[in-house]
Amino acid sequence: MLLTFDQVTKFYGPVIGVNNISCRIGPGITGLFGANGAGKSTLMKLASGQLRPSQGEVKVGEHRAWSTEAKRHFGYVPDLNSFYEEMTCLDFVYVMARLYGLKRSDARRRTAEVIEEVGMADRSGRKLAGCSHGMRQRIKLAQALINDPPILLLDEPLSGIDPGGRREISRLLVAQGEKGKTILISSHILGETESLTDSVLIIARGRIVASGTLSEIRAKLEDRPLTVEIRSPQSRRLAALLVDEPELRNIELRPTGLIVQTRNPLRFFTFINDLVAKNGIEIEQLQTLDGGADAVFNYLQQGSR
Amino acid sequence: MSLLRAWTTLLWLSFRRLLWSGSTLMVLLPFTACALFLIRRGFWKEANLFETFNDFSLFMMFVFASFVVPICAVAYATASIGGDREDRTLLFLLVRPVPRVLIFFAKFIATLPLVLGLVMGAFYLYCRLGGDIGRAAYPLYLPAIFYMSIAYVSLFHFFAVSFRHSTIIALIYALFMELLLGNMPGIVKRVAINYYGRSMMYAAGVPHGLDRPEAEWFEPISATTAALALVGITLAALLVALVVFQRREYTDLT
Repeated sequence: MLLTFDQVTKFYGPVIGVNNISCRIGPGITGLFGANGAGKSTLMKLASGQLRPSQGEVKVGEHRAWSTEAKRHFGYVPDLNSFYEEMTCLDFVYVMARLYGLKRSDARRRTAEVIEEVGMADRSGRKLAGCSHGMRQRIKLAQALINDPPILLLDEPLSGIDPGGRREISRLLVAQGEKGKTILISSHILGETESLTDSVLIIARGRIVASGTLSEIRAKLEDRPLTVEIRSPQSRRLAALLVDEPELRNIELRPTGLIVQTRNPLRFFTFINDLVAKNGIEIEQLQTLDGGADAVFNYLQQGSR
Repeated sequence: MSLLRAWTTLLWLSFRRLLWSGSTLMVLLPFTACALFLIRRGFWKEANLFETFNDFSLFMMFVFASFVVPICAVAYATASIGGDREDRTLLFLLVRPVPRVLIFFAKFIATLPLVLGLVMGAFYLYCRLGGDIGRAAYPLYLPAIFYMSIAYVSLFHFFAVSFRHSTIIALIYALFMELLLGNMPGIVKRVAINYYGRSMMYAAGVPHGLDRPEAEWFEPISATTAALALVGITLAALLVALVVFQRREYTDLT
């Protein structure tokens, strides 16, 4: 099932939350990344029918996201830490199941299944007020899975979960994605869910500034500046030779080597290969300092300003 | 059928959460205080029935109907949706496939047995504590108390869906606006719910010995008009609350 944003704009009074966003999110795991205040939560609220777009249309399958019918087709993990605190984990998920109109027996069976899936079976009798943040995150996920929806909207689902729990939840999400579900995961830390996602949407200042797989995005950004650390015992000589490279933006001499910034990474790597071979310079280590996903994200964010 | 199951679940959940909430403890205080006052006052021992009936009626009118009933309605009616809103658990209801109209009615109907049960139960108890004059007053004032209770519940549901800190706003309304406006000279008092309730009580009580109020201070309208006004306020507040709840984006939930 598709989640569609068609020229969606949302205003909060005079402030714009998201600005003319159009995209179709299909089966698999899509990451939605952006800094705090970038518009991720607004997008999630629009998708989950909590907000109506000021302009454009958000659709869950064929239904407008605001409609009651659309709500049968998605599960939502909110980025809030509020529950019916007096309830046990089991009771809470059971009540949520009943709110989908499940019969008592079906609700009980389904509750037991999802509680097991999120790894809370041995702690399901615990009151929510006494649960850790990680446990509460799991219960939020359990209530989102309760009606086995084709679309999952997960707002910061891994925040506050320990590394072991994160691996478990990640496995669960990957399994859901492999079943053909459409999963949209928002996060402000790209590295947190980078390994899970098939494709990403990067949002900054209410606009989608990049979409596709991370490698596609990186490829599109080949001409973006790249910072490289070069460790060499002949760093002064190397610096002198590098000055001739026209695409170089900056060279910084450090006790351990050089930090260089280039406008054209592909050309730079060819150039330094030739330089080292021709001049017999010893290189101990050469590594990019900002080639990871977070660097891409930071770069895009700066670009949107 | 599945929608009915979802709705009854929500109704039961709302009722149960309201019953075992701080609201119940809060409303028990004024109810208990009234009961203790009536025991201490000992209306059942009085020999002068006319004077006692008048005193008992004024107590019911100015303390019970004008103060305790709205407090009880504030406690439960604002907590039903307002509590979910302040705790931000309303979000878990709004993302379920239950139409907002039904969510609202589940909350409203869950509130009614609590408010009506407590108010009517307490009123019955107080009338028993009043002895013979209490037994006489019970059927006379019961309709006014009933209509007022429902009107307050509707109005405070409107507050709950419209304002974030609805309990505080409703308390200010109940304690100051109702008392203030309800006792203003002239036509201004007609905006207060308790004006219509008191009109009904005067209409029922005056033929049985309740002193008629001074015309320049309080001029009651007929019982039928007052009852219709209370029904009108109830329906109008419900309708407006429903429209607000149906259309509102609760951006304060996350």
